[in-house]
Amino acid sequence: MLYINDLSKRYGSFTAVNHLSLHIPEGDLFGFVGPNGAGKTTTIRIVCGLLKASSGSVQIGGIEAAVGTKEMKRLIGYVPDFFGVYDNLKVREYMDFYGSMYGMRSRDIAKLSDDLLELVNLSDKKEFYVDTLSRGMKQRLCVARALLHNPKLLILDEPSSGLDPRARVEMKELLKNLHSMGKTIVISSHILSELSEMCTSIGIMNQGQLIMAGRIEDIMRQASGGKRIHIQIASGIETAVRLLQEQAGVIVESVRENEIVITNNNTDEQMSAFIGLLIQNQVVLTGFYREEGNLEALFMQLTGGGLQ
Amino acid sequence: MRIRLNPIIKKDLQVTARSMRLSWGLFAYEVILTLAFLLALAIIQAENNSYYSSNNIYSYLIYLFPVQAAVQAFIVALIVPIITAPSISGEKERQTFDIMLTTCMSPFSIVLGKVISAVIRILFFVAAGMPIMALAFVIGGLEWSSMFYFILTVILLSVFSGSIGICCSAFCRRSIAAVVLSFVIYFVIYILTFVPLILSFLWSKGESAGESMLFLLINPGVFFEEFFMQIMTGESFFGVAGSNFNRKEVGFFTYHLSQGKTWMFLSAACIFLLALLFMLIAAWKVNPMHSSAKKISRKKSTQNKMQIQNNPK
Repeated sequence: MLYINDLSKRYGSFTAVNHLSLHIPEGDLFGFVGPNGAGKTTTIRIVCGLLKASSGSVQIGGIEAAVGTKEMKRLIGYVPDFFGVYDNLKVREYMDFYGSMYGMRSRDIAKLSDDLLELVNLSDKKEFYVDTLSRGMKQRLCVARALLHNPKLLILDEPSSGLDPRARVEMKELLKNLHSMGKTIVISSHILSELSEMCTSIGIMNQGQLIMAGRIEDIMRQASGGKRIHIQIASGIETAVRLLQEQAGVIVESVRENEIVITNNNTDEQMSAFIGLLIQNQVVLTGFYREEGNLEALFMQLTGGGLQ
Repeated sequence: MRIRLNPIIKKDLQVTARSMRLSWGLFAYEVILTLAFLLALAIIQAENNSYYSSNNIYSYLIYLFPVQAAVQAFIVALIVPIITAPSISGEKERQTFDIMLTTCMSPFSIVLGKVISAVIRILFFVAAGMPIMALAFVIGGLEWSSMFYFILTVILLSVFSGSIGICCSAFCRRSIAAVVLSFVIYFVIYILTFVPLILSFLWSKGESAGESMLFLLINPGVFFEEFFMQIMTGESFFGVAGSNFNRKEVGFFTYHLSQGKTWMFLSAACIFLLALLFMLIAAWKVNPMHSSAKKISRKKSTQNKMQIQNNPK
């Protein structure tokens, strides 16, 4: 759906985006992560046709973004980080205004608006003035507006910034819903836990460069915690420690009364063989689990603690 | 083929119609027009004794019309930049402009929509002033076409000053700066177009203006004067060539273009083309694919850098 090829954006001597290459397949929910000034917003603005790239190219659905054609614009729904409102404009009129900016007919807009406002849980606010809505409601309305022309790619620039916890949860659920409907979504956020819960893949940016990108499972596996395994033992802990220390690729990190924590660099098959070996040697296991990967820890490690 | 109203016009009118500013603006406009009418009436009466005296000349009352028209044109010239100058910078301040640019509307359609909505709002004011202007028609001596031409002139002046306003709005990030800049440009056009005439007059020691008067083709004030003189008297400064000018006093082009109503129509065309040029410059400026858009992002990047420096964690 979205191909970014060797994209750079320079302002004099300052490089905001440095040779960024990325492919986001159709139906993906991609999270852009990075500290402030990493180049996320600049990248998003270039993708949306709001900024000219210094070099490189962006293709959306096979159309060059730099050309800025109507066909390209129809493929994108953009939700900026700040929601500006017009005084004296009702929710229904707001939707009508943006729908007509995409050349849609009034009756089509009215029908789609009803459906979308229901989707974002704002159907009872149709006759309310936009500036009277809460920030969370405005953000959901902005998503509904961005979906009005049925874009294939929805781009959200920090949609949760400034929202209260409840509004964040609602926004997250809405995005999950949209993803399940088959929309390709690109979202930039600082809230890493949120991204790790809903994204199918993420890209970590720092100082204009994409330092890591891939499926969320792979990224989590690469996170330091992903290789750490806790083994809970009822008896035979000394035998277990000795056996594990003999295995190549296993580092015993800590030994407590009835738990051993190891770092495992072997494959899952090899690890299951080690567990079998422990059982064969009369070690009584009560449980074992892989420590969940911690995206925040990985992010801090990669960006040198640049998260705000 | 489906004819579509520019959505910006509809939205702007919807928003304006609900604003108290429009009501107060119309009220102020009516008050000014009424005062101008009463003042003009008092002056005419004073110069011709009173209605009840035997030597009263009713025909002078026809001059209430150009007085009203001039007052309205002056107010329009003041109001339009105030309406249009914040139109794009206001969208930028509200951060709604980026969303607009991601839609299927072209930058020129956005600019055109803003100018047309300003012209329509001005027509609200002109319509509100009609009853007061109609008092001049009660006395007689005016044709319906006078009013028709007056409205056309107001539209042209609105488009012209609106295009200056929108152009400044495209270049300024703050609305107030855009308003100030548009007034400066507006008055510079008014004054600077006279400079070549004055210089050539001084240069030739009052003998010939040469072609320097051609600059006045883009002066809305001169156009308005020409227009009303033509309507009221059938003659004007440039419309009576041969009597006002001879071939030695002005250049070849000025002499031939000032025959009959040619100057008036040519001036209207020049003003319209200049307005179009201002709108094209505004559309070029707001087009994100134009490199100057980087200014905004540079500012954003600088802000981000500062944030990082201030909050390293």
